[in-house]
Amino acid sequence: MALRPHGIIRIAYVRLGLLATDIVQARSFYRDVMGLIEDPRSNAERLLLRCWHEAYPYSLVIERSVERGLLELGFEMADFGSLAAAARRLKATGASESEPGAPLPGLGASVLCEVPGGLKIRLFAAVTDMPSYLGGHMGPDWVVPRELRATVAPLSLNHVGVTVPDPARTVDFLRSELGFAISERIESDDGRRLLSALMFRMSKDVGGQEIAIFRGDEARLHHIAFTKEDPNDILVDGQYLGEAKVRIDALGPTRQSYGRTFSLYFYDPLGIRLELCSGGRITEVHPEFEPVVWTESALSKALSFHDRQVSNTFLDACL
Amino acid sequence: MSLTRLGYASINVKDLVPAVSFYTDVVGLRLIEHDKRGRRTYLQTADNQDHHGLVLNEAGRAGLDHAGYKVNDPADLECVSKELRERGIEPKSVRAQDVSGQGEGIRFTAPSGHDILLYYHADKIGYATGMRNPDPLARVPALSVSHLDHVVLACEQPEEASRFFRELLGFYITEQVNMPDGQPVAIFLTCSNTMHDMAIVPGPNGGFHHMAFGVDSRLDVVARTDLLKQRSLPTMELGVTRHGVAGVTTVYCHDPSGNRLEFAHGAYLTAGAGDRVPPVVWRPDLHERAVFFYEGVIPGDFFSTVT
Repeated sequence: MALRPHGIIRIAYVRLGLLATDIVQARSFYRDVMGLIEDPRSNAERLLLRCWHEAYPYSLVIERSVERGLLELGFEMADFGSLAAAARRLKATGASESEPGAPLPGLGASVLCEVPGGLKIRLFAAVTDMPSYLGGHMGPDWVVPRELRATVAPLSLNHVGVTVPDPARTVDFLRSELGFAISERIESDDGRRLLSALMFRMSKDVGGQEIAIFRGDEARLHHIAFTKEDPNDILVDGQYLGEAKVRIDALGPTRQSYGRTFSLYFYDPLGIRLELCSGGRITEVHPEFEPVVWTESALSKALSFHDRQVSNTFLDACL
Repeated sequence: MSLTRLGYASINVKDLVPAVSFYTDVVGLRLIEHDKRGRRTYLQTADNQDHHGLVLNEAGRAGLDHAGYKVNDPADLECVSKELRERGIEPKSVRAQDVSGQGEGIRFTAPSGHDILLYYHADKIGYATGMRNPDPLARVPALSVSHLDHVVLACEQPEEASRFFRELLGFYITEQVNMPDGQPVAIFLTCSNTMHDMAIVPGPNGGFHHMAFGVDSRLDVVARTDLLKQRSLPTMELGVTRHGVAGVTTVYCHDPSGNRLEFAHGAYLTAGAGDRVPPVVWRPDLHERAVFFYEGVIPGDFFSTVT
């Protein structure tokens, strides 16, 4: 094969730590309201959850921890050569440690990297115990499975939003060491300070982000976004969420110009901010790809094209 | 390194004037450049920042001139050239700006009879909305398409063509539909995280089955169908339909020269497909449902009509 991808090929999971008392509540919300699927190895200590369209064992990991917080983001690499190359490069920066195993089922060798600002990213090259598509591989129809109807049942994990103290430093590292590119960014009106960036490593028809970076006091979770096929589905999901008395963000369903998605933000029972999104910009993992640039004075237009009002707390971390 | 995506389709049309009018007015593409001497017009979709996504060549006939795929490393061009020569295929060098707005590339004819052009650089024109504090939609036209999604190529030996593109360029199969006799109806290939950047169907070598444009929602497919009917443009008799494959909502029509095109929404993302996730191979008895999910019938001319 003359051409092959190298480096990161996909966002694999987001891993959260919650208190023991939270886990039961989280399990019932993510299973019964969100319509995520539990891996057979999921238990009271650790929930391993995935979306119905994902053919990987888990994309959301919630586990018992002494304090609540974002533990890490997982990214899968093209092959073990890519993983070894990343390990060498990251070791030179002093930002990583290679681990013969990984604290999650089926990952094998991995590299845990602390990105400047405190965000932790785990790289791995293969995951075992792959489930098949929920509808099988011989005629899946690609219709939301009957048992998940009237739940949100997103297609897949889309991206994770995080806060970091110095977005420019974090973004530089993600670009130079891990090959991420920026699809859109928000900067101060004088162009001197980077306030936010949407970063990607996957060439997609729609997307533009696997990590969304916002400014905050420390590395924390801002939100977790899931993919929906269509804006109309998101409107219906908003009905289900309202019916389940889920707290929906004041924006309601909206066009987010920043990323060009149709989005709905809401909160799980523990206050974790979630997003459903449909659409997004075309991305291309190409050195000449150019980002959209937003200025701080256009922030409200960037975050909600319809509402033009963003609450003071919208940019705060949630976990 | 690797292909990043389908960059553009360069297609033949009988007459340029009605073709340009159709692709700007009905499809909603941006008119980028008209090369009078070359009898060639360059157009682009709304949500692509490169110089062109569609090239129309006045050739007195319809069909595909070539498909352009982008690589993300200039060294890829030599790498592919070398492997082509080993396979007894001589690639042609394409100079920068031979295709307007585009850097140097290589062009070759695949054994299936299709010309493929690989290139690294495209001049940037930005999204239709601009690149700074952009609105989420352009001012005109009201009904546009977001991107060129895939091309579907017809040839006598689809399995062999699929193997050629997979082995040479790193495509993977995401889904495949076979007839009860085992012959493939369609093979869907991705070179990125899309469900398909190329598909291969049985037909005459060098055949062009269709190209597909992505729209933003299922309702956009309905609105598009309304528009086609309002302009008295024949759609395929099924009108709005859904493919079981990929689960897309879709409508087909023809341009004034007879080239078929599709407007679709809803193809899923395929992270690591092929390499990690085994392809979906539809049971032969479901092949009609795989192609036309609602109707369960494949119109007689759907596969036989190519340009």
